[in-house]
Amino acid sequence: MAVLPQQVIKPARRVIRDPILAITLVVIVLFVGVSIILPIFAMVRESLSEQGLSLFSRYLSETSYQTIISNTVILGLAVATLGTLIGFLFAYVQVKVRVPFKRFMHILALVPIISPPFALASALIILFGRNGMILRGIFGTRCLWGSGRTCNDIYGLDGLTIVLALSLFTVAYLNLKGMLEALDPALDEAATNLGGSKWHIFRTVTVPMLVPGIASSFLLLFVEAIADLGNPLVLGGNYEVLATRIYISVIGMYDTTAAAVLSVVLLVPSLTVFIVQRYWISRATVVSVTGKPSGTPQQITHPLVCLPLFVLVMAVCLLIILLYATIFVGAFTNVLGVDNTFTLKNFDFVINGYGSEAMVDTTTLSALATPLAGIIGMIIAFLVVRKSFAGRAALDFAAMLGIAVPGTILGIGYLLMFNNDIQIMLPGIGPVTLIPKLTGGRAIFAGAAAIVLVYVVRSVPAALRSGVALLTQIDPAIEEASTSLGANSEQTFRHITLPLIRPAFLSGLIFAFARSMTTISAIVFLTTPQTRIMTAQILNEVENGRFGNAFAYCVILILIVLLTIGILYAAVGSTSGADRGLEGGA
Amino acid sequence: MAATESLVLNDVTKIFQQRGGAGVVKAVDRVSLTIRKGEFVTLLGPSGCGKTTTLRLIAGFEMPSSGRIVLDGTDITYQPPNKRDMAMVFQSYALFPHMNVFDNVAYGLRIRKLSRSDIQTRVENALALVGLSGLGNRKPNQLSGGQQQRVALARALVMEPQVLLFDEPLSNLDAKLRVQMRGEIHALQRRLNITSVYVTHDQVEAMALSDRIVVMNAGRIEQIGTPDEIYRRPNTRFVADFIGRANFIDTTVVQAQGERVTVELFGTRVELQSNGRSVKPGERQTAVVRPEGLKLRADPTLEQVLIEQAMYLGSEIEYIVRAGDQRLVVVDSDPRTSQIFPEGETVGLDIIGEAVHLLPPEETSARA
Repeated sequence: MAVLPQQVIKPARRVIRDPILAITLVVIVLFVGVSIILPIFAMVRESLSEQGLSLFSRYLSETSYQTIISNTVILGLAVATLGTLIGFLFAYVQVKVRVPFKRFMHILALVPIISPPFALASALIILFGRNGMILRGIFGTRCLWGSGRTCNDIYGLDGLTIVLALSLFTVAYLNLKGMLEALDPALDEAATNLGGSKWHIFRTVTVPMLVPGIASSFLLLFVEAIADLGNPLVLGGNYEVLATRIYISVIGMYDTTAAAVLSVVLLVPSLTVFIVQRYWISRATVVSVTGKPSGTPQQITHPLVCLPLFVLVMAVCLLIILLYATIFVGAFTNVLGVDNTFTLKNFDFVINGYGSEAMVDTTTLSALATPLAGIIGMIIAFLVVRKSFAGRAALDFAAMLGIAVPGTILGIGYLLMFNNDIQIMLPGIGPVTLIPKLTGGRAIFAGAAAIVLVYVVRSVPAALRSGVALLTQIDPAIEEASTSLGANSEQTFRHITLPLIRPAFLSGLIFAFARSMTTISAIVFLTTPQTRIMTAQILNEVENGRFGNAFAYCVILILIVLLTIGILYAAVGSTSGADRGLEGGA
Repeated sequence: MAATESLVLNDVTKIFQQRGGAGVVKAVDRVSLTIRKGEFVTLLGPSGCGKTTTLRLIAGFEMPSSGRIVLDGTDITYQPPNKRDMAMVFQSYALFPHMNVFDNVAYGLRIRKLSRSDIQTRVENALALVGLSGLGNRKPNQLSGGQQQRVALARALVMEPQVLLFDEPLSNLDAKLRVQMRGEIHALQRRLNITSVYVTHDQVEAMALSDRIVVMNAGRIEQIGTPDEIYRRPNTRFVADFIGRANFIDTTVVQAQGERVTVELFGTRVELQSNGRSVKPGERQTAVVRPEGLKLRADPTLEQVLIEQAMYLGSEIEYIVRAGDQRLVVVDSDPRTSQIFPEGETVGLDIIGEAVHLLPPEETSARA
């Protein structure tokens, strides 16, 4: 083929001749622009104000702030290491080692997806805190090690690392499990055939093939860990991180400029790691998914390998059970560890009392956000995978910012951007409101609009990624066939694409709902007296030491999420049908 | 003439931007082609020659960078694919995996909002046409590869399109089934008389199916002609090489009188048709000789060649022989009636005049 120097293509023509596509594109770009780009822009602009710039130099030179920054990074590294390790352990045992109770392990690895913020941290405090039921009650000590001035309790880096690693390792687990399953067993067989021992194969074949997956999980966990607000708030003790500092700047000192400056400081490592993960590591993947594996994977059966791995995984499982059991028992107890009498007053508070409004509001807003996030995620996935237009990669990246940017930062961005009506002056008509005030007092829908928007923004990336993953596996000719038979873009998307990516759509919906119900960092600044959100209420209860109420909230929240998942499965249908159909069609 | 023209490609060029913006690639380079109503035309060429891109331009999945595409007198160059009265059969069949056979075939009719009873009749007719009556309730994954192919065909046929497009539809089938489906497509197309454009890299398939073959290379049309023209009178070395097997032999023109030309090949004088080309005595030319145009004979008066390889293939024997400094392929298509020569033997080489074709000179020099 001849390579010519000039470029003669006019991509605009394709969009124009398909008006439905053009309109969809405009709507999506507007959505991403208003709900993601504008708030981040507002936050950065605020940090670059005269006052903001002077704060930058102060923060970067003061020791106390340097400590906060290094605390944040150390926490991120510790959680990423431990979480990836646990994820790898679970995935490896699940796929490659012959042990009993695999299904049980798998389910327990998924449980932390539905973990209300503070739930695990609070449970850990109840069990291992200075007055903890296990630490004080069984071992009769207040410290994990040391005593007096050197006393090291559960608060701080160690407790935070454990809780965050346990809440986040699912990401690493699913990621690595998928890769291990996709590894062609023929590789193992070839290595064995060439005389490699199991340990040798593990070191020289399995782990090197998984390096991109391990690196990618590590970086994802790092971003999540440094963004986390809820756990450092209750379990941090004197260990202060950027997210908590930002929170205190806004809630305690009403200093949004300081918060914006700290946000930028937090944004830099978050975005850097995200970009490295997304555009570098995930492309270096060696594992090629070729469809059906060519044999059954060999499993390790040697007891000297199986037993220790089994014990380790079971220990983590038991810890997860213990923490969740604490939540459930605590919800039905007066003051767990102090007054262990059965009571229903915690639930009375949540269901009939002060908390009922929060329960209804949170569920309603999440239920509103869920289908929006699912549909928007699928549409962006469709546009990104199937359509060629200028700025395709930029749209994908911008949509992913919803999760790459720490929730606290997004929240501050909303505060700064939407705290007033956004108006433009039209000559002869006067000021016209483009976007009404979304946050704070007298906001439109009492702030509910902003909260729904944040829920959607935070949930779209997961739906987008699962949509992209599934779409790239579907032969584009299937959609072209529909077009060739006379269907327009909208008909093809509705009749062909959407049914085919239903599994991704469903998982997008489930994730969106679970995420919305449990998110705290992004909405903590956006709740108003009229619009109460459960996670914010839980924080309130935990901060006041009313763990019983907090646990009751958590139990209710978990039940709502589980119930909704059941409803979604029934409504959107089982995933297996579409899966099976695909194999034969392509 | 206009009444018999169905599809016209006028100077169509498609330029793709390379990944990373490093440059652009001319996938289709000034292709002009006129297809008559009811004609079966095959775009044939190696992978990357632009045949599939040309088909996708016709279907509307790509838009040409320049040039026009006209269907039945209407310019459809920028018409979206769903508005074109064409239906395509895909290489991967592209059946809708979540729909059963009936719904797959009915899909296009439902988009057109035909009545329920019309759809029922037409789908049933289409399924009967491809021999799938009674399988309407099956899901695509419950069908064999050949059956899936038939569904894909029925789904296109049911639309009664002006033009039927085929994108390497048989390449996913095993060899036996491919031959069978080839016969069925051939019979159906002749019966229904639908204008068809077919893309393949398999020259046997192209020969078997087509009224005319368009041989493409590097985005350009090398030659358009009936299978017989393409095989026996290739315009270029590329066409001769791509279609069937060919021996290229440098030769000198001895005599030229009108249509009759005499050339010398390995000391043997061979008389052949010039096919309207003017050649002068003494000129160097490249002759194309098909393997079946060469015969081996134990005749000491002929040019003596050494048999380097002899492969018995049942219906024929293939020899690789050395004649001077050149290696030639010789196919004896009826080993029953002729002598079988062993490897290492020296035998006489006979050349059948009608099987020799002179390549146009500009091509011989440009592509040597």
